[in-house]
Amino acid sequence: METKRPLCSPPSEREQLFIHLYKKAFPVVCKYISKRGGNMEQAKDVFQEALLLYYEKVVVGRTEIASNETAYLVGISKHLWFQLCTKEKGTCELGHHDLAAIEDEKLSDNKLLALLETSGKKCMDMLKAFYYDKLNMVQVAENFGYNSERSATVQKYKCLENIRNTVNQKQLQYEDFLA
Amino acid sequence: MRTSLLETKRIEEHILHVSSPGEQLLFQAQLILDPALDEKAMAQQKAYSLIRSYGRKKLQEEIALVHAQLFQSPQHTPFKERILSLFQKK
Repeated sequence: METKRPLCSPPSEREQLFIHLYKKAFPVVCKYISKRGGNMEQAKDVFQEALLLYYEKVVVGRTEIASNETAYLVGISKHLWFQLCTKEKGTCELGHHDLAAIEDEKLSDNKLLALLETSGKKCMDMLKAFYYDKLNMVQVAENFGYNSERSATVQKYKCLENIRNTVNQKQLQYEDFLA
Repeated sequence: MRTSLLETKRIEEHILHVSSPGEQLLFQAQLILDPALDEKAMAQQKAYSLIRSYGRKKLQEEIALVHAQLFQSPQHTPFKERILSLFQKK
């Protein structure tokens, strides 16, 4: 049984966790994918997506897993590899119109994200820490240099309001464009 | 907290389902009666989705850096060679 890892929020702790997981599980995943005709690039993509899902579900989501972390990561990777093979064989059930709509939405989201990253990086980092990494407001206040949990909370809502306003403005522009 | 921030907080409690069932019902009625509030709620929902995308993007960058470190740093050469040997054609 492997030891239970603590919640790791600072990037330096995450780096150590990812190195540890890479060394334990990546060779197993590579062996599996190589035996099935896959290449190193595919193994890398599959494993990195598995690490992301592991982080969201187990580290941040605090979901208890029945197996150890290596077995869990290998299991997700096998599933993702199967999905990749199915996709490459062209058995995707979505029609061309659905795919085009998804692509359009993705494109406008990426543009919006790029804008928010440049115009409000500090806000995005703070909101990410709270909503994605699930730090509590005391940790957010410490990490982002606020005197109290209360002032960090006020700032969090200000940031959220700014992003909401940007979303609204941009949506109006897209509507004007489409009209 | 100023009024507009309190409204943002209320919208959040509704979207993240942290308010009571009674408050949820009341808020839903307000959304129907007030199109401007409904518009704000939709934009705020989109904001959470963008924050998640941002979080994922940053995490992907961190993971890519770890990969580069493991495959470029001399300290990890045995690991790199072990992986590369798995893809060598016999």
